[in-house]
Amino acid sequence: MNILQANNIVKDYTGHRALDNVSIAVPQGKVYGLLGPNGAGKTTLIRIINHITAPDSGEVIFDGHRLTQNDVRQIGYLPEERGLYKKMRVGDQALFFAQLKGLNRSQAEQELRKWFDRFDISSWWGKKVEELSKGMAQKVQFIVTVLHRPKLLIFDEPFSGFDPINAQLLKNEILRLRDEGATVIFSTHNMPSVEELCDHITLINNSHNILTGDVEELRSRYGKDKYVLSYQGDSHALAQALASCCREIQMLDQDKNQRQTMEISLIDSDARRNAIAEANKAVELYSFQPKLMSMSDIFIKAVAESNETLPPEFNPQMITSNEF
Amino acid sequence: MNSNLYIIVRREYLERVKTKSFIITTILMPLLMLALMFVPALVMIMAEPESKTIAVVDNSGIISNSLDGTKDLTFVLVNNADTESLKKNSDYDGILIIGSDLVDNPSNVQLYTHSASSMETEGFITNQLSQAVRNVRLQKYDIDNLSQILADAKVNVKMSTYRLDSEEEKETSSTASYLIGLVMSMMLYMFLLIYGQMVMTSIIEEKNNRVLEVVVSSVKPKALMLGKILGICAVAITQILIWGVIISACSVWLMPLLTKSVPSDEMDLMVAVGQLGDLGYVLGMFGCLTLFLIGGFMLYSSMYAAIGSAVDNIQDASQLTSIVMVPIILAIIFSMAVAQDPNSSMAVWLSIIPFTSPMVMMARLPFGIPAWEIWVSLAVLYASFFVMVWLAAKIYRVGIFMYGKKPSVKDLVRWAQYK
Repeated sequence: MNILQANNIVKDYTGHRALDNVSIAVPQGKVYGLLGPNGAGKTTLIRIINHITAPDSGEVIFDGHRLTQNDVRQIGYLPEERGLYKKMRVGDQALFFAQLKGLNRSQAEQELRKWFDRFDISSWWGKKVEELSKGMAQKVQFIVTVLHRPKLLIFDEPFSGFDPINAQLLKNEILRLRDEGATVIFSTHNMPSVEELCDHITLINNSHNILTGDVEELRSRYGKDKYVLSYQGDSHALAQALASCCREIQMLDQDKNQRQTMEISLIDSDARRNAIAEANKAVELYSFQPKLMSMSDIFIKAVAESNETLPPEFNPQMITSNEF
Repeated sequence: MNSNLYIIVRREYLERVKTKSFIITTILMPLLMLALMFVPALVMIMAEPESKTIAVVDNSGIISNSLDGTKDLTFVLVNNADTESLKKNSDYDGILIIGSDLVDNPSNVQLYTHSASSMETEGFITNQLSQAVRNVRLQKYDIDNLSQILADAKVNVKMSTYRLDSEEEKETSSTASYLIGLVMSMMLYMFLLIYGQMVMTSIIEEKNNRVLEVVVSSVKPKALMLGKILGICAVAITQILIWGVIISACSVWLMPLLTKSVPSDEMDLMVAVGQLGDLGYVLGMFGCLTLFLIGGFMLYSSMYAAIGSAVDNIQDASQLTSIVMVPIILAIIFSMAVAQDPNSSMAVWLSIIPFTSPMVMMARLPFGIPAWEIWVSLAVLYASFFVMVWLAAKIYRVGIFMYGKKPSVKDLVRWAQYK
């Protein structure tokens, strides 16, 4: 079941179409990656999902019905550009945001104390925000985002400003929240963390949804007919032996077991048996594995392809507003 | 939604009212104003003027016995002395030389002093000399019982003014009304500027911190803007109410004391003190001040809010704020003119136009104006602030997500037209 569905969203700003017929479907209980180059329209889509701006056409279905302002209380959003009131005390501030999400004061305070204990930051309660470091303030912000136990969490670059230890702490919390039933939309440019966390992704480029799918499935699809060989022997002989059944052959560095490695692209999937046989004859073959593409490679490839196919009027138009 | 508006208003209000600067200005300002009023008077009473001795060289022979000294001013008659040596003699603070033809040539009088003479002293001397010359001239006519006739003819007219159009015939003082009106317009002017700019700077700050991005994920931008304006408006009302209480207390306790100390021949001052001592009058003034403050504040602060949402920093705002500053400043200038003639047709029109009405009304109000005019003015003001808030919210909604570009008025107009 999908907790969130955006159907054929269109959003125009003066002289610029921020979203052009974009649809996404976010399955319940998964981590959903929302990727795309800067200015592609991610933030606009997230704002529409958050009921901050309204789409010009298209609809957002949340939990089986059309999204309304009340549903916002079921959503927790950590924007990429975020901040807190500097002069306010940490505790008062957290209570303020919790109350905006519909919690009453005592409920909010109880929950907050729990989270502050868990993050070991109870001593910050009475401090003013301006006394905290950036990373500390980010932790408070994370708590404020998830405190009201929303069904849908939206994190936009959640790890920026965190050291690796705290980033790991945050990753674990995000996965824990997912395991407890929350759905997470995760927007980032950090591709290794997408591989680590996301189940599904959507890639937006130039206001269009250009790629959607299951992360593992995409990685093997993009790695189709690509194999990595590890072997010992004469690399040139191997390359010659494989030349007839490969489109592309690339020598790689030695792997961690001091074995030679080579990456090949077969002309089609039927050529695999033949390639294995040829390789076996030429060298001592240790392994012949399908290559898993990194999300980073997929990102670059998909964006490049979509930029080629788009008509010239869809060239990215940089305007001065923040990702409008 | 509504409860969110309440949470926003509450935060805006408490965060400001709890600050030391608010508490200090709220309590100290009235004390400071009282001090400004009373300290000069006290200083005048307390300060003992130095006693002065003035040597009089009377060449006319008619003056010397008519000059009366006071306890601070002693006249010493020095006849046939050398004026040059007198001038060098530092026992005297001044030398008064009266020409021999004083009766025919009244400007033939010189006063030499070692330090600057006071206006009071000079006035005192010329008064007495005029009196003496007048007496001499009158005596030339040789009229019987002259002094008796003069005493009978002496008169000092005192006028009391009453208003016929108000319900009761009430003694009024134009001077007092004028001053009260100006003080109230100035107060409103300061409130609109200070609190209006507070709305703007606080929105710019929220935008810069990106706290706004977080808040709008829970609250509609419109509610956020309205919450801020209402919260700060509540702070302004709190301040004016506290001042109202302090001034009412002064009106009840302090003014009766003052009434006793005012000399009975100072009619105008008496009436003014009486006017300020009338609690009903003071409360009425404050009630109107509060109503016009709310209307004017909502009108102007929503303009400030729209500007604050559009810019990234105060420097960029300066050009746009002139749109707001100019009518506020014009209003205070108009209200000074209106206070001179509170019932001119210009005054009536300016007190209906919403941009000038709050301050112009404050200037006219103490003179007493028909109730319907107040209601019409309030109705127009409140209707236009509703429109302005609605318009500002449309600009705000777009402006808060705009970064990096210095917007022009044209941009604001375009944003207001977005669906």
